[in-house]
Amino acid sequence: MAKKTKSTSDKPNRSTKDRKTLGSIRDLADTVVQSAGRGREPYVDIPSRSLSNVRFNQSKRIIEMGSGTNRRELFNLAQARSYMQTLLVASGCKQLIDQGKTTSIRGLFYLLKHTIEGTSEETFDTQNECDPVIEDIEVSLDSMREELHLYAKNAGAMVGPITLVDSGDTIDCSRMGSGGYSIPSIVEQDIVQFKKNTAKFILHVEKDTVWRRFNEDKFWRKHNCILTHGGGQPPRGVRRMLHRLHHELKLPVYCLLDNDPWGYYIYSVIKQGSINLAYESRRMAIPDARFLGLRSLDYGRCQLSPSVQIKLNEQDIKRARQIAQYTWFVNKKPWQKEIELMLKNGFKLEVEALISKDISYVTEQYVPARLKEGEFLD
Amino acid sequence: MEEHTNMPNVNETGEQPKRRAVTAESMAAKQRDISVSEFFAKNRHLLGFDNPRKALLTAVKEAVDNSLDACEEAGIVPETWVHIEAAGPNRYKIGVQDNGPGIVKKQIPLIFGKLLYGSKFHRLRMSRGQQGIGISAAGMYGMLTTGKPVKIVSMTSPKKPAHYFEIQIDTRRNMPEIINGKGDGEDIPAGEKGQKYITDHDIEWVSHYPISDQQPHHHHVVRSGTRVTIELEGRYQRGRGSVDEYLEQTAIANPQVTIHYVDPDSGETTYSRSTTQLPPEPVEIKPHPYGIELGQLVTMLKDTSAPSMAQFLTTSFSRVSSGVAQKICETAKIGTRGNPKKIGRQEADSLYKAIQETKISAPGTDCISPIGESLILKGLHHQLPGEFFCAATRPPAVYRGNPFLIEVGLAYGGTSSTQKVTLDALTDLLSESDARSLKQFLLTTFDGVGAIGADKILSQAKMGTRQSPSKLKKEEIDQLFAAMRNVNLSENQSMQVLRYANRVPLQFQPAACAITQSVIGTNWRAYGLAQSRGQLPVGPVTVMVHVASVWVPFTSESKEAIASYPEIMKELRLGLQAVGRKLAIYLNRRKRVRQEGERREIFLRYLGEVAHAVATIKDFGDRPRKDLYGRLVYVAKRKTAAAETQLKDDGKQRENAAEEFGENVLIVNPEETPGETASSEPTA
Ligand SMILES: Nc1ncnc2c1ncn2[C@@H]1O[C@H](COP(=O)(O)OP(=O)(O)OP(=O)(O)O)[C@@H](O)[C@H]1O
Ligand SMILES: [Mg+2]
Repeated sequence: MAKKTKSTSDKPNRSTKDRKTLGSIRDLADTVVQSAGRGREPYVDIPSRSLSNVRFNQSKRIIEMGSGTNRRELFNLAQARSYMQTLLVASGCKQLIDQGKTTSIRGLFYLLKHTIEGTSEETFDTQNECDPVIEDIEVSLDSMREELHLYAKNAGAMVGPITLVDSGDTIDCSRMGSGGYSIPSIVEQDIVQFKKNTAKFILHVEKDTVWRRFNEDKFWRKHNCILTHGGGQPPRGVRRMLHRLHHELKLPVYCLLDNDPWGYYIYSVIKQGSINLAYESRRMAIPDARFLGLRSLDYGRCQLSPSVQIKLNEQDIKRARQIAQYTWFVNKKPWQKEIELMLKNGFKLEVEALISKDISYVTEQYVPARLKEGEFLD
Repeated sequence: MEEHTNMPNVNETGEQPKRRAVTAESMAAKQRDISVSEFFAKNRHLLGFDNPRKALLTAVKEAVDNSLDACEEAGIVPETWVHIEAAGPNRYKIGVQDNGPGIVKKQIPLIFGKLLYGSKFHRLRMSRGQQGIGISAAGMYGMLTTGKPVKIVSMTSPKKPAHYFEIQIDTRRNMPEIINGKGDGEDIPAGEKGQKYITDHDIEWVSHYPISDQQPHHHHVVRSGTRVTIELEGRYQRGRGSVDEYLEQTAIANPQVTIHYVDPDSGETTYSRSTTQLPPEPVEIKPHPYGIELGQLVTMLKDTSAPSMAQFLTTSFSRVSSGVAQKICETAKIGTRGNPKKIGRQEADSLYKAIQETKISAPGTDCISPIGESLILKGLHHQLPGEFFCAATRPPAVYRGNPFLIEVGLAYGGTSSTQKVTLDALTDLLSESDARSLKQFLLTTFDGVGAIGADKILSQAKMGTRQSPSKLKKEEIDQLFAAMRNVNLSENQSMQVLRYANRVPLQFQPAACAITQSVIGTNWRAYGLAQSRGQLPVGPVTVMVHVASVWVPFTSESKEAIASYPEIMKELRLGLQAVGRKLAIYLNRRKRVRQEGERREIFLRYLGEVAHAVATIKDFGDRPRKDLYGRLVYVAKRKTAAAETQLKDDGKQRENAAEEFGENVLIVNPEETPGETASSEPTA
């Protein structure tokens, strides 16, 4: 059973934000009480987080969530379990807010995981079962993750000539050693404030390994930029940080990603928002972000050796075709050409492929050349 | 002889084709009459005396069948006694007694000492016996194997003397030979004196029987009846094809009968009646023209006393009006006034053809008395465990001019035969068995045990399949017993098929029988049972099929299997389908109820969590939390109950259970302990 917390009704020191979130959580609980009181079957309508329920807003150039919802019912065999989980997550967040604490989504998973009384069934089997329910709660309560007192594990780092304050501590991102400043999952104004910045742009790279190359070569110092990575698909903290840096400090964002469907997809997420988290696009998508590389033509342009080719598999080809059809790509000739060329090549290229030319080829030649030419995909 | 029997025409000396070595004259010296008795003495297997075990059963069966026939004909609720006693190695004495009308003195020797002597052959009326061979053949078998005479006691009224006969059969002449009372039999005086006579002369006779188990001191007096005692070479072994099985199955199809059975181990079993209602008395009918063969027609023409063809036709057959007779004669180009005795072979032939071409209405069907659906249900439920019973009696139909009728009953669920047996009974069964291996023992002793089932039991008991059943130690028997209890065979046991002809169980030659064939030919998968092609369906299910007819077409004289006439096959199919449909409804409903139960359980499982979560959010105390939980449970129950009345897949509103099943369905709450299989108290 859900762990009991002592009753803490409306502490005076509670923030307005918390009061709003608590209100939504209570509303959810009230639907259960009311339905049961009337002998009706309780349900919750959860905004649908699927491709069919996202729209590309042409003027804002971001993906927005539509008004479609999925009904989740308690008395429906296929949904009973996830309905119960939804209420468990809500009650977990309520307890966190009551106690004024935050926890990782993994922590919440452990807080809520237990054996259902009289059975051998667990409330949650794995973290993977819990995570989407948390996202469901976010969208249904229209509360951001941090408002629920939740965060994801830090993934992603940054360095650069910028000083910020994180939870009261001043951090000079130009003095972060080899590991950089680890971007927290919650970077809202009340936690992170920007102080001094001299950087002129942001270079976002896909992976930690590539990021290390750039940091070691002190690329950011030479080119006066902020260097970030998101450990693959950037988590919300990283995307929100990029978003704030871009909007608040007016820094252009250039992305250096692999020349493969996955790289294209990451770019799409940074630029337009993700389908799954379309409700977050408003505060995360960066429509002006640019794609610096790697390009399909780089194999020839950089005269790479055939050994760096990675053959496209069926899945890649399918993915690539799908991405080419995204509303926000379908009318962009250069992108269509880019994807077509990759398919024609029949292989993909990782950024690390450039290392085969020279260990610092990417930092000393490739990226500087692109920046100099100003040649990016939009 | 009838066309249904395969018996050679033994009383005729046929012309033999000449061979070189013998002359017609030398052969003529050897050619003589073969008496029926002589013929059967040599061909016992034709009458079911092929081996000692079957011989014992057949003898009991002939006697019991006669008793039940006699009681029914006399309108007496039957009370029967079956006593089997060991009388030496491979020797048993069987005594079968009834409370029927008894037999008049002068008939007794002929009935019991002459083959092909009976009251049932020459008429068309539904009865168990039909050939007039049964009991005398049993007696003859006994005499041939032990040299002992058949003993008969018969009483027609408590006020008149009873008769006692000891009879032997002169097989050469097919005539009875009375041994006692200087060739005249003995008379047992009525009343008290008779009692003394019986005891003094060591005559076996049950004169009283308890009114009920509850009042052991109140007795009924046997006012009339017959007892026949035969000593014969035989072997007693329980299990499939046994006397016990015959009696149990007889009790199922004859719910009006009570049988007091004492087995050779002095174990007493009473199969008690579940009704005193006798089946309606079947009416005797004349043969229908369509059922007659040319040879028979010729004989009838010869034997008739009718002065004219028209009269011959209208009086010898059923459903032949003078109009129909005229039509037949016209078609056959024979005068209606002609003398039937003067009809020649040619004319008989065209008469026969004319009959086939003339439209004659189907025979009356009141000559058949079905058990009836409600009594079938009673019989099944009384004798078999189960949770679902249903029955279907088909309207009468006709094959070859003979009216017949099919009844089908079905019992579903309950424990399998391996789970019903007691440890003592198992020990007996093992010691009696002559099976070479334990596996064979299980297969031949218990119904519905397939090879897979036997292997399962033996592997659970950790015993080899080759082990000999009679050499088991006490601990091994305990082990086997426990395994038989634990292994649930009901899921992969094959359907048990109980076959009946005129209420008599058929225990042999299942494969040759029309009933088995049509059960196998029915698609039981459509009714929710597993079945592989050409096999009996699988599951805890028993089907009883009753073929009732004025003349049951057996495949041989031993009356073991029914011939597959297309009309009979068709009716069998329809009857089986009728119970199949009911079974399907029941199984579906059971599945639905189970699913609903599972659904409800799933919902209930999560309700506690949901109530807790809500309580946490709302800062509820225990009371409101429990209140919320209670309300959610209420909604859950209503939801799952409602699902049962919801629309069916086909969009039709689901009717309530009784309407769905139609009539004559019995559902026993599986939680209740199923009715015991007869009250059985071994007194050994
Ligand atoms: N217990 C009995 N009580 C009264 N009559 C009997 C009894 N047993 C036999 N009979 C009479 O004796 C006749 C001969 O019996 P039997 O068993 O030999 O032939 P069946 O019953 O006519 O035909 P089947 O050969 O098919 O059994 C019966 O037809 C019946 O009239
Ligand atoms: Mg008989």
